[in-house]
Amino acid sequence: MEEKNQNELEKVLSLALDLGKGMVQCGAEINRVEETVLRICYAYNIKKTEVFSVISMVYATVISEKGETHTQMRRIYSNAPNFRRLENLNALSRKICAETPDIDRARKDLEKLLGDKRHFDVFICLGYIVAAMSFAVFFGGSLLDAAAAAPIALILYLMNVYIKSNGVNRLFFTALSAAVIGFLAEVFVHFGFGHNADMIMIGDVMLIIPGLMLINSVREMLCGDVMSGLLRLLESIILAMAIACGFAASMLLTGSIL
Amino acid sequence: MDFKQGLIIVITGMLGTVGFSLLFKAPKRRILLNAVGGMLTSLVYVLCCMNFEHEFMQNFFPALVATVYAEVMARVVKAPATPILACSIIPLVPGGKLYYTTYYFVISEMEMFNSTLTELLRIASGLAVGIICISVVVHEINRHKFKQIIDVE
Repeated sequence: MEEKNQNELEKVLSLALDLGKGMVQCGAEINRVEETVLRICYAYNIKKTEVFSVISMVYATVISEKGETHTQMRRIYSNAPNFRRLENLNALSRKICAETPDIDRARKDLEKLLGDKRHFDVFICLGYIVAAMSFAVFFGGSLLDAAAAAPIALILYLMNVYIKSNGVNRLFFTALSAAVIGFLAEVFVHFGFGHNADMIMIGDVMLIIPGLMLINSVREMLCGDVMSGLLRLLESIILAMAIACGFAASMLLTGSIL
Repeated sequence: MDFKQGLIIVITGMLGTVGFSLLFKAPKRRILLNAVGGMLTSLVYVLCCMNFEHEFMQNFFPALVATVYAEVMARVVKAPATPILACSIIPLVPGGKLYYTTYYFVISEMEMFNSTLTELLRIASGLAVGIICISVVVHEINRHKFKQIIDVE
């Protein structure tokens, strides 16, 4: 009986942490993730749970009524916004808290949500193009600039699907993207396809720039999650530097060719 | 900023929000909701640009409105607020400023780099404070509810 009880505790903890990890990877706020882990453990009658999370890991200890402790952690390497999955995970965690289903069944539901991976998606591709075109105009470009931003956005998306998903270093990938944007924008303008190279670049750079990350980091720090806020802030600064390096490379290249 | 420019910003802000909703893999049924949020945010941004000189104020009020919108709509459609907020606030993301900051850094125009960097920080803090003002209140209410079922510090 005791054996089974311990096993059960580990299973609940494992379920809660995997769900938390999934949420962090989809772009959830840290305090929301911690709250979710707490709530799930509480739903399965664990009276005391300690949880800590930053953007690169989730870590939790549960203490049973007899005083046994169990600790597990999950390391998180990559994250990309995926709000559809985030909403599904959120719904699942609500369901778990409300109904406390059998743990094996809950795990099967979770695996199903975490499993759906698609490579090429027409809608995301469309999203890249629409976003790049709109922001080229938003920041003061002409319609021709928007038209020039579209093929670059398409190339960025293809790079994202075929290079980034192979686990390439993120900094290198960002610098490469910036270099491609800078180079193509200059070339397009040189041959008369577009009026202002910088408007084309800004439109496309919106796709890779860590602007949202910057806002989120300041927000998290003001909310009290200084740790993950700092990590996010540093990451966004480093990414911005990578973008600067990519631009520098493209400027050198176009300067010597055009 | 005249009327035509403002109109262009509102329309492209909305389209940009739609683009980013697709890019962030938002559920299809939320795209219209996000688009309205993006339009509202850029509308308030345009109005603030006409009335305030300081970048902080220009970004504080739109961020405030976007957060209220996201929190209210999240309650209405019973979904988490973060995805709606992340999409609606997209038109305020200082992509242009960040671009010029890195650009001046690369061509080593240090004076221009300094001034754009300060502007960038003003914008970012305006946005963050705007979001915080609302989300602190919401967070307190949520915590109060949560406290009734589980004892958290």
